[in-house]
Amino acid sequence: MPDLLLLFWTFLKVNLLSTSGPASVGLLHGETVGRFITESQFVQAVGFSAVLPGSDAIQLAMYIGYAAAGIPGGLAAMLGSILPPTALIFGVVNILHRLRREAWVGRFVEGLTPAISVLMLFTAWKIFEKGGQTGLFGWAIALVSLALMARDFPARIVVLVAGILGVVLLQ
Amino acid sequence: MNHPKLFANLSRYSTWLKLFWMFLKVNLLSPSGPASIGLLYDEAAGKLMSEERFVEAVGFSNVLPGSEALKLAMFVGHAAAGVPGVLAALLGAILPPTMMMLIVAAILQRFQQADWLEHFVSGMSPAVAALMALVGWELFRAGTGKKIKPRILLIAALSALGFWLEIPSPLVLVGAGILGVLFFR
Repeated sequence: MPDLLLLFWTFLKVNLLSTSGPASVGLLHGETVGRFITESQFVQAVGFSAVLPGSDAIQLAMYIGYAAAGIPGGLAAMLGSILPPTALIFGVVNILHRLRREAWVGRFVEGLTPAISVLMLFTAWKIFEKGGQTGLFGWAIALVSLALMARDFPARIVVLVAGILGVVLLQ
Repeated sequence: MNHPKLFANLSRYSTWLKLFWMFLKVNLLSPSGPASIGLLYDEAAGKLMSEERFVEAVGFSNVLPGSEALKLAMFVGHAAAGVPGVLAALLGAILPPTMMMLIVAAILQRFQQADWLEHFVSGMSPAVAALMALVGWELFRAGTGKKIKPRILLIAALSALGFWLEIPSPLVLVGAGILGVLFFR
């Protein structure tokens, strides 16, 4: 039971401090790896949320919650990630005519954004390092993926192919 | 007889169904929240809500915390059919991704000790790291616009210092947000 509450609280917190699913990954790493899931499971969660269609945020919640505590865990994590945007939308819709972009919420997010970017870079490096493949193979995959995705090549294909290359080449 | 009322009810239900179906479709066809905006625009703008309101909804979902796809779904649902519209849209947006992820997660948990999964993750890690670095960079560019303001760089540098000193990340993020409120008057 405390596990479910902790999952709910973790995802509530993470979703209050990020503006989209992909942007929440950096924070999520620090809050869940070692506590609920392993490093490898985290990579699976991020990888498959990029591969599967639909909102990344609730997919991350579903995977991590399920891996930590089965279906109840998945539901608890999902609830935590759905609650903040839902509550806010109802609040915002009701005061929409008064709230402008200059509101303090907007400025808070403006300050939040560079910090999230930096956190993403830190976490990207951690994942790369702990992935174990820091030799030629790892760097080649990282650089080729970066180049492809920077040219708007679909991320889900890049991530999937990288995984398959791992299975084929790392015997 | 009560025909007009029955008719009104029917058309209301069909709006809810339409919203549910629309978000089911959009979320099945797009790989992530930000990517779904284009699809959603074709489906909703001009039909369920005015173009102006759609742009406003996108603006707000960029600024408010939480999943982008869900916030947009709820805005569009609200514009089309009020509070029940929000629920219909939310349900449509949540069902496909979570069901698929549940299946994937359940299958993967059976193979956590398998060699092939370990190799799969090893191959995927560098690509996932690259994806994260790229998303981080794009987020930074989107947040700054064309000219990078010095105070944004200052916040970025301060938070880098914070993460490097291993201050808990939520604290660093809240701190950055508060700096934003103070700086961006």
